[in-house]
Amino acid sequence: MAENANKLTDRIHYILPYLPGVLTIVIALPVWFAAGPILGILAGVLGMGCTLTCHRILVRVREISDQKACLDAQLIQSQKLAAIGELSSGIAHEINNPLAIIGQEVQWIRHIVDKAAIGSEHHAELDESVTEIGKQVKRCAEITHKLLDFARKRDPLIQGCDVNRLIEDMVRLVERETAQKNIAIVRNYHEGLPELYTDHPLLRQVILNLLNNATYAIDKDGTITVKTLRKGQDALEILITDTGCGITSENIRKVFNPFFTTKPPGKGTGLGLSLCHSIIHKLGGDIRVESEPGKGATFIIRLPMNYAEGENLI
Amino acid sequence: MENFRVLIVDDELDFLETILIRLQRRNVDAVGVSSGKMAIEMIEREHFDVAILDVRMPGIDGFETLREIKKRRPFMEVIMLTGHGSVESGIQGMQMGAFDYVLKPVKIDDLLDRVRKAFERKAIHEKKSGR
Ligand SMILES: Nc1ncnc2c1ncn2[C@@H]1O[C@H](COP(=O)(O)OP(=O)(O)OP(=O)(O)O)[C@@H](O)[C@H]1O
Ligand SMILES: [Mg+2]
Repeated sequence: MAENANKLTDRIHYILPYLPGVLTIVIALPVWFAAGPILGILAGVLGMGCTLTCHRILVRVREISDQKACLDAQLIQSQKLAAIGELSSGIAHEINNPLAIIGQEVQWIRHIVDKAAIGSEHHAELDESVTEIGKQVKRCAEITHKLLDFARKRDPLIQGCDVNRLIEDMVRLVERETAQKNIAIVRNYHEGLPELYTDHPLLRQVILNLLNNATYAIDKDGTITVKTLRKGQDALEILITDTGCGITSENIRKVFNPFFTTKPPGKGTGLGLSLCHSIIHKLGGDIRVESEPGKGATFIIRLPMNYAEGENLI
Repeated sequence: MENFRVLIVDDELDFLETILIRLQRRNVDAVGVSSGKMAIEMIEREHFDVAILDVRMPGIDGFETLREIKKRRPFMEVIMLTGHGSVESGIQGMQMGAFDYVLKPVKIDDLLDRVRKAFERKAIHEKKSGR
């Protein structure tokens, strides 16, 4: 019921601005008969002009509200990521110390076991068990370190950068692994790009993570295409496309969320892309993904080209 | 003379020697040591701007040395140099605060280019922190 009423008011809102113009056109005919063709035509033209202007204004208003909705969504996304980041780093911080203590105790137990239980029938079992505890503690520590790193406020340091060269360095590194899996890497660098002012190690980290994901998505036999291009006067895009498994429409909204992973347990932390997202935003750009499930995915980074050396981005 | 000091850390003595000579020939003030432990002692005693670290070393490896250097000299920049590079270790290096991750073999002029960039970053960092 309420929905119907809403639709009705929507429709009225839509029609209302056109009303004066349409009325003027309608009135044009009687005016023609009453006051001759000149005034009649004048009224008609006036009406049409009025209608057209209204239409243009309406279209523009709709465009602007669409843009606003998009910006709102982006803002919510970054706020959400920031909140999750803060929460998880808080937890990581709290868990880190107990974890370190467990690690030390494990070493101590091992020392005692070696001394006291050597030769006893349970020695091997004890040894195995202590080793396993040590391994799992180490794994936990790796996760907490990643988390702390994710939330660390490392301000970007901005300096001039040959983007193509920076990317090529990372591609070479990845190529050592892709070569064995029959994955070809196609370079499509925009020649003669001006220097980009950015944070080198942060950008390296992003490119490496994306190339790593692409390699994992393909598994073997496929192609990764790396492309750079200029977007107008003051932006640059880096595209990393793979012919891997792609991302389902259900998952595509979640890939930048911390801890979202489709890797088997223990294989991935799901922090790679959320780290990329937070870095690229720190660098004043944005990152998005397009994918056709089963065919592959493209990650698109857009970076501003108008920052100067040493300038603070935030 | 270039206006920065470089510390090179590599357990392969031949490599260390070659790279030292080549850098010095290009007027770079460079010092070499052959272990992570010696590197840490060295930066406690003397001033350096950039370190070039081999990733795989017996004892304290490149990553641990990186961590210790960053703890003691947060403005110093570090370039990781490795003959056995992997994506995983590259990501780790960057995450731990390395400036660059370079595969061996590397041309000396290319390496010097990277050292200059690393030094530029250090200067920007210090200026930003008001030092
Ligand atoms: N190129 C890609 N093709 C298909 N799916 C992808 C691609 N990149 C990322 N994804 C999806 O997004 C998820 C999250 O990626 P992210 O890099 O954040 O974590 P991860 O790779 O799973 O784990 P980690 O990076 O810690 O090893 C992946 O598990 C995968 O489902
Ligand atoms: Mg990943």
